[in-house]
Amino acid sequence: MASNDHASDIPNYAAAVRAALSDLPPDQAEVLLEDLEDHLREVAAEAGGPLAERLGPPEQYAQELRAAYGGARASGKRQDPALRDLGRAIDRVTTSTWYRQVRAFLPELRPAWWVLRAYVVVLVITEAVSPTHNIRLIPNPFSRRGLLEIVAAAIAIVVSVRLGRRNRSLAKGGRVLAIAGNVLIALIAVPALASMGTFPSFAMVESGGSGQAAQGRALYMPDGPVTNIYPYSRDGKPLTDVLLYDQEGRALTLDSKIGDVTTDYPVGADGQPITNAYPLHQRHFYGDPVAAPRVAFPPWPSASPTASPSASPR
Amino acid sequence: MNHAEVDTTQLLKGVLDLAVLAVLAEADSYGYDVLRRLRENGLDHVGDASVYGTLRRLYQAGALNSYVVPSEEGPHRKYYGLNNRGRKALDQSAQTWVSLSKALNHLLNGRSNGHGK
Repeated sequence: MASNDHASDIPNYAAAVRAALSDLPPDQAEVLLEDLEDHLREVAAEAGGPLAERLGPPEQYAQELRAAYGGARASGKRQDPALRDLGRAIDRVTTSTWYRQVRAFLPELRPAWWVLRAYVVVLVITEAVSPTHNIRLIPNPFSRRGLLEIVAAAIAIVVSVRLGRRNRSLAKGGRVLAIAGNVLIALIAVPALASMGTFPSFAMVESGGSGQAAQGRALYMPDGPVTNIYPYSRDGKPLTDVLLYDQEGRALTLDSKIGDVTTDYPVGADGQPITNAYPLHQRHFYGDPVAAPRVAFPPWPSASPTASPSASPR
Repeated sequence: MNHAEVDTTQLLKGVLDLAVLAVLAEADSYGYDVLRRLRENGLDHVGDASVYGTLRRLYQAGALNSYVVPSEEGPHRKYYGLNNRGRKALDQSAQTWVSLSKALNHLLNGRSNGHGK
């Protein structure tokens, strides 16, 4: 064997081949080239003569290796290793038994989705037509709106299930449209269902004592926070600087941070702001004073004016 | 390298997997030995790098086992052998090859008859 004469060939030749394949992704190059030296030693041991003579120039050898290893997708076309790892991970998941079981079970849930989507669509439409910011899981059947919602949901469920059953015979264009519609409803369903079950809460103001600017928690009506209180006299005249206290004698204050308004509190003789004098003097961020809302006054039993269509702040 | 040679290389490339699998089905073997046995069987145009690359690819694809056999003189040898997947691949490729070669032989016979070889 003439192997030892050309033993020094091997590292040089291997290095040249590696250099020619340096554009391969590292992991792929490693798989391909990990045995290269051993193999070249084998060739050198059995064949004799300089390697380049036996195998051709290293660049050509590298080219041939690339072609044989890459098979059909020979030179050039490379794939991001991260992307390929992801592809392999997906393959592993999709070929596992539990995935196939889940996959086989999912179609059973179709009718449930048909019902849910009808319900969600009715919820979203009624909420869009008359917002209450308080979507309930089951509409109150004793209110007109609730009753309407229940009837509408029942009709929508029937329509939705019929559509769902017919869907299988749709043409391709219709199918794409149907999938897009379902995805849209599913996307809307997430926030709609998440905001459900917020029951009206009347959070009490936790005041640290009268005269303190420190604001407690916000006061809420069923459809939103209270940012100001407008007192009127019995005959509909707006009152100013009315001091309000709760049943414990605590100054009734509002969270001044709600909404994009700033509140100016009058300052008392002790130098402390008075935070429970209503209505609060509020300005929008851009400077205009916040206008009082239009209110309808209740009809009093006496001969006093029944209603004043609107009231303006001082 | 003339055109005839290029064509042979292209042809070989297509069937090299099958040839390598067939050689390994006879007996487990290492890189250089696979090449030698291919050449002994008349596949003269097979390049060393092609065989080495094919072995690595088949191994990577999970069609081959490999193990190292230490030797007292000369380098350790990495032997390759077929596993179940490799045997299955060989069976399928062999079937494909048989039908393909039948069809080609038929075509070529017609041609050689026509030209009166």
